[in-house]
Amino acid sequence: MLNILIVGNGQCGNRILDAINKEAFGGKSKFAKFYSQQKYKSKVETIAINTAINDLKELSSTKAKDRIHIPHLHGVGANRTLGKSVFEDNKSHIMRNIEERGNFDVGFVITSASGGTGSSFTPPLIKEIKEKHDFPVYAVVVLPFREEGTLYLQNAAFCLKEIRDSGVDGIILADNQFLKQIGGNVQSAYNTINDMIARRMLFLLDALDSEMMMVTDLGDFKTVMSGGAGLATIGFYEAEKGMNIKTTIQKALSPNGLLFSTDVYKEGSRAMVIIKGDKSYLSIDEISSEVEKLSSSVGHVFKGIIVRKGEAPQVLVVLTLEAAEELENLYSVAVDAIHQEREKKTRVEEQKEIDKAFSQIDGLEPDY
Amino acid sequence: MVQFKNMCLLMLTLALVSLVFTGNACAKDMIFNGSIQEGDGYQINTIVIDVAEVFVSAESCVFKVYDEGELEHDKLINIDDTITFTAEGETIDVTLLSVSGGTLPQATVSITITDDDNIYLKQIVDGGHEKATFPGTPSLEITKEVSSYTVDQGEVVTIKVTARNKGDGKATEVRFSDPKPTGFILQEILLEETGQLTIDKYETRTIFLYKLQANEAGTFEFQPTRASYSNEADLDFPEAVSNIPVITVTDTGKNAKKVAELEFSTSIESSSVKRNDEVEVVINIKNQGDSSANGVVLNIHLPEEVEYKGSNSNIEIINGMPKAYLETFGLDQEKEIRFVIKPTELGTYTITTDYSYQYEDGVSPDRQEVTGEFTTSTIDVARGDLDSVIEQPWYVIAIPLLIIVAIGGWLFHRSRQYRF
Ligand SMILES: Nc1nc2c(ncn2[C@@H]2O[C@H](COP(=O)(O)OP(=O)(O)OP(=O)(O)O)[C@@H](O)[C@H]2O)c(=O)[nH]1
Ligand SMILES: [Mg+2]
Repeated sequence: MLNILIVGNGQCGNRILDAINKEAFGGKSKFAKFYSQQKYKSKVETIAINTAINDLKELSSTKAKDRIHIPHLHGVGANRTLGKSVFEDNKSHIMRNIEERGNFDVGFVITSASGGTGSSFTPPLIKEIKEKHDFPVYAVVVLPFREEGTLYLQNAAFCLKEIRDSGVDGIILADNQFLKQIGGNVQSAYNTINDMIARRMLFLLDALDSEMMMVTDLGDFKTVMSGGAGLATIGFYEAEKGMNIKTTIQKALSPNGLLFSTDVYKEGSRAMVIIKGDKSYLSIDEISSEVEKLSSSVGHVFKGIIVRKGEAPQVLVVLTLEAAEELENLYSVAVDAIHQEREKKTRVEEQKEIDKAFSQIDGLEPDY
Repeated sequence: MVQFKNMCLLMLTLALVSLVFTGNACAKDMIFNGSIQEGDGYQINTIVIDVAEVFVSAESCVFKVYDEGELEHDKLINIDDTITFTAEGETIDVTLLSVSGGTLPQATVSITITDDDNIYLKQIVDGGHEKATFPGTPSLEITKEVSSYTVDQGEVVTIKVTARNKGDGKATEVRFSDPKPTGFILQEILLEETGQLTIDKYETRTIFLYKLQANEAGTFEFQPTRASYSNEADLDFPEAVSNIPVITVTDTGKNAKKVAELEFSTSIESSSVKRNDEVEVVINIKNQGDSSANGVVLNIHLPEEVEYKGSNSNIEIINGMPKAYLETFGLDQEKEIRFVIKPTELGTYTITTDYSYQYEDGVSPDRQEVTGEFTTSTIDVARGDLDSVIEQPWYVIAIPLLIIVAIGGWLFHRSRQYRF
């Protein structure tokens, strides 16, 4: 049995963590915690960290003792510089809380890249954990909607870079912009996205802690995650009625199933395909042909099959990327954003120059 | 020696006794001690002692003693001499103490009598025995008349009591007593002279006039009417007693005995009930007879498994038993006694009530007593709503309770765990 640590930083991280906890209760209802037990196969410790107490209060399925409030007004207001200094001040407190929970085999840190708290806490937190422990730590990073503004884009760009530099063992990307397709208002879109991520995470955790034959494990996951550019995403699909396993696998690898926009066959580096469901659906031929098709264009593909009586087939794909065109796009937009911000600042500076000019006549009277 | 001493003692005792007796015998009540003029007299009851002639020089006097005007004694005595005579059974001594002259000579005398208890009149009579008056002797004769001496049962007779004073004196302080006969019912009093009366000599007066209804068949001897009375001088006379009328009452059968006949019926609100449900029981009482009943007592015997819960009014719990008591229960009267019971065990029950009451049949002198009992229809007691729960062993109740408590505790614990 694995010991797994999941930390959710900032509002986005907190809410996805809560969605995972809720999913673990197996129910859609937030009352599931009263009548159900979490179905983690492993020993899972979850911690939600935030500067905004209201964000923490909103959570429903995460235990109170698992919510750490770092008192700093109401969040850091997307200011990463401020966020980093707040983390520094509270680092020992946060680390102590993690340490108290014992040793871990693997850790995940979930955050949005673009906010303040989450995006600024995550890099130094991972760095801190990696310095003190030797278990792999993976970041689950949520990218912003592109229309959320230059500040968020800029934050996302810097945050991602800092996470990569923190010593993280891999970054799993989820893109709000890409997942927006699901529709609905922002709030329900958030909830839907969070549930999607949660479901994939739970499936992944399930697969990591399996001792059965023909099943992938944490070692396989590590290998997959170490490939490519250190960036990964997850695809998932649950077969609709009558859908064969081949189509299900394809769907999991298509925009329907992925968390981040990528052409799997072009950008993929390593992959792990986990197929779960009733034996009757699991045609070995179909699975083999699909996996082979993937491995012919991607490097190595780990394959795991979990037989679950009576369950419709589900497919989870963890995919590391060699290249990420979408990320390049994001960065170019971000760079533009940074330039824009700088220009704005210069304008403000110039404004200040004008102020200076005006201020020269302060206290003077016109002389006629 | 001892004999001599005893003799002395005996003689001493005899001496003392004789002294006491002599003293008694010599005791006389002084009636008069004073002067009486010549020609006047001294009256004691019907006796007049006339001072007929006084001889001052001779120091002597002539006394003439009359009883009711008749000369009994005529004697000349000297000073310090005494005339002794008997009257009314007593001995009277008249002693001449002195004489004196003047316009009218007078004698000083003392008169004693052995016992003055019966003296009702003593006085100086001016003019002597010729002028003396004597209170008469009243004599009452009471007559009790009945309008009819043989009557049918239920018939009314009139009783008239008259008193006639056939003596020669006024009867004073006359009091009548007239006990009412048994077997008759006093119907009406038309006249009744009560209190102290006076009846003049030769007067006839109606004292009582009343109507009696013959109530029982038989021969009845009336008790006599009696009267006590005195004469004008307050002398009490022997009681006058009336005749004793005897009436024969014949049984015609038309005034047969009356009965009080209480009829009891019961009804139960519901004859099949659930355990621990309350049920009302109604006892209906109706007097079907022609006499009213008295002292109606009902003792309601509830089975042990039936609890008494309360009543509209008439029932009292005495020594744990519900009882109803009705002082009287008139003709054709009807009454409902309601009470509520609660059967506490399963089963079939009846409620028995014993009763007793009395009545007067109008003929017998004693009250008639009736006792009996009556029983309700059966009440079937089935299992109550909660019985199935109560009958379960404790753990059947305790376990769900425990589970509820556990769930409550769990919910509380969980919400605490998740409240931030
Ligand atoms: N998928 C998803 N994205 C979210 C959610 N909440 C916020 N975001 C995204 O996260 C970014 C904002 O970051 P937050 O996590 O809200 O910010 P924070 O870490 O709390 O930092 P501060 O509030 O600035 O202190 C935006 O791009 C949002 O679109 C969520 O519940 N689900
Ligand atoms: Mg926030």
